[in-house]
Amino acid sequence: MIFKILSVIAPVFVCAGIGFFWGRTGRSFDSRMVGALALNLGMPCLAFSTLTKLSVSPEAFATMAGTYALALVCFLAVGLTVITVLRLPAHTYLPVFTSSNTGNMGLPLCLFAFGPEGLAFGICIFVMSSVFSFTVGWSIYAGRFAADVFYNNPLIYAVAVALIFMATGTQPPAWLANTTGLVGGLTIPLMLISLGVAIANMRAHGAVTIIGISVVKLLAGFSVGYGLSVLLGLEGAARGALIIEASMPVAVHNYMFAQRFNRSAADTASMILISTLIALACLPLLMLVVL
Amino acid sequence: MDLVAQLAGIVAPVFLCVGLGIFWAKVGPPFDSTLITSLVYNVGAPCLILATFQKVQMTPQAMTELALATLACYASFTVIGVVVVKLARLDIPSYLPALIFPLTGSMGLPVCYFAYGDEGLALAIVFFTFGAIGTFTLGAAIAEGTFSLKKLAQAPVIYAVVIAVALQLTGRQLPDWVFNTTNLLGGMVIPAQLIALGVSLLELRTGGIARSAVLGVFRLAMGVAVGFAIAWAFGLEGAARAVVVIQSAMPVAVSSYLFAQQYRRRPEEVAGMVVVSTAVSFVTLPLLLAVLL
Repeated sequence: MIFKILSVIAPVFVCAGIGFFWGRTGRSFDSRMVGALALNLGMPCLAFSTLTKLSVSPEAFATMAGTYALALVCFLAVGLTVITVLRLPAHTYLPVFTSSNTGNMGLPLCLFAFGPEGLAFGICIFVMSSVFSFTVGWSIYAGRFAADVFYNNPLIYAVAVALIFMATGTQPPAWLANTTGLVGGLTIPLMLISLGVAIANMRAHGAVTIIGISVVKLLAGFSVGYGLSVLLGLEGAARGALIIEASMPVAVHNYMFAQRFNRSAADTASMILISTLIALACLPLLMLVVL
Repeated sequence: MDLVAQLAGIVAPVFLCVGLGIFWAKVGPPFDSTLITSLVYNVGAPCLILATFQKVQMTPQAMTELALATLACYASFTVIGVVVVKLARLDIPSYLPALIFPLTGSMGLPVCYFAYGDEGLALAIVFFTFGAIGTFTLGAAIAEGTFSLKKLAQAPVIYAVVIAVALQLTGRQLPDWVFNTTNLLGGMVIPAQLIALGVSLLELRTGGIARSAVLGVFRLAMGVAVGFAIAWAFGLEGAARAVVVIQSAMPVAVSSYLFAQQYRRRPEEVAGMVVVSTAVSFVTLPLLLAVLL
């Protein structure tokens, strides 16, 4: 069991560790370029390639999408409760509860814990989470409704095409499958290395509110994921992927959003950093629950 | 029709990734080639080597045979290259490395992988490793004028090769956690290199295009001829034969351009050789594969 857990979490620690070392030793790292490479080129290819290998049925995919939509509603409810009780502004603290690190941390965990089936469920959740972040989350930061980031995201189109293949039960031609499989290989390592660099460059301040929110976010995430999996009777890879993804820390892109709209970027960075470190420390326990 | 679909499955990933790189250079944010190259050489490539040799078991005999064939190819390129450069009254430091070292990494590895799976990739990596060692030692020595093993000792690829060979010989395996990690990190090597190749094709400043074109095409022709001759001389068959021919027949390596630039050895003309030979190989590679498959 210890070796199984190690084989799941080691890639995350090693890749993020390389990024952390890279950032700490002051080597140049163009996060914007790497982010664009991983998210705009790599991610659509990874999603397309994973989903068209038909490791999950369209029904299972739809069920997972619906389940994570429910989870997002729960996260929103928890977030609203917390900010109302603490009288904090929604534009900075609400997205912290809803946008989790389902991509760079969640996907490799799903992959190594449950193989291609786990990755397919993880991608389903990542897509839901991204759509939510780039529409509702983005609008909360902006203070007005904005969805252009959503339409500009190539991931949406890649998933749409993949769903057509899934629904019709056809395989994409070799040239397309090989190309997307190859380019998709960029995504997870680049995202994890970027995560490490981001952690190395962020500074945290440990105000009680910040630590409290980080802990509540993680506990709420795990509880919602675990609760929904019991309630809906999920099993195996579906159960594992849901619990893993729901328990992920605050997403790094919240920092970019906070900077862009002049919300409290320092507080956001602190919540990202603290929740990520706690989540990393708790990963072995999380794996003990899902495996 | 089957052959066309099969060929498309092998060459399309290469062309499309290079195309993505060209597209990126036109519309994307500035591409930090230094960062990508550094990630690929220091992190990705050693991991790819370790992970691939975990997936493929090669007998010491097969590995030695391929290594010798590879050395024979490079020796032939060097001899022919010296003769041609001398006959054309060109200077050795500028043109010889470009004739010797083919693009075995970014282009050769994916072609061999999609044609022959993990076995093809493992064989191609053997060829690629000798090329990398040669580039760091001989290539640098020719361009720089002095021979040094320092660059070689600093290349993490070397240590990965030593570990991989030791594991193959002792029949041991990496633990799961190391394999998962190296397999993940190794996955970025080929796409990142191909996209970087596309970007650099667009950013290369070429000059003296007539001479570059002739030398570039000569590199391809020499590669095909030497590849087939060596494969025949060593009695190679199947994947091993195809890999030796494919890797030999690759266009001029971008690393030759980087050296030319670093040591001011006519970078524009070497760039021209890279661009012309790569462009021509887009046409000749499917034909070559059609013959081999």
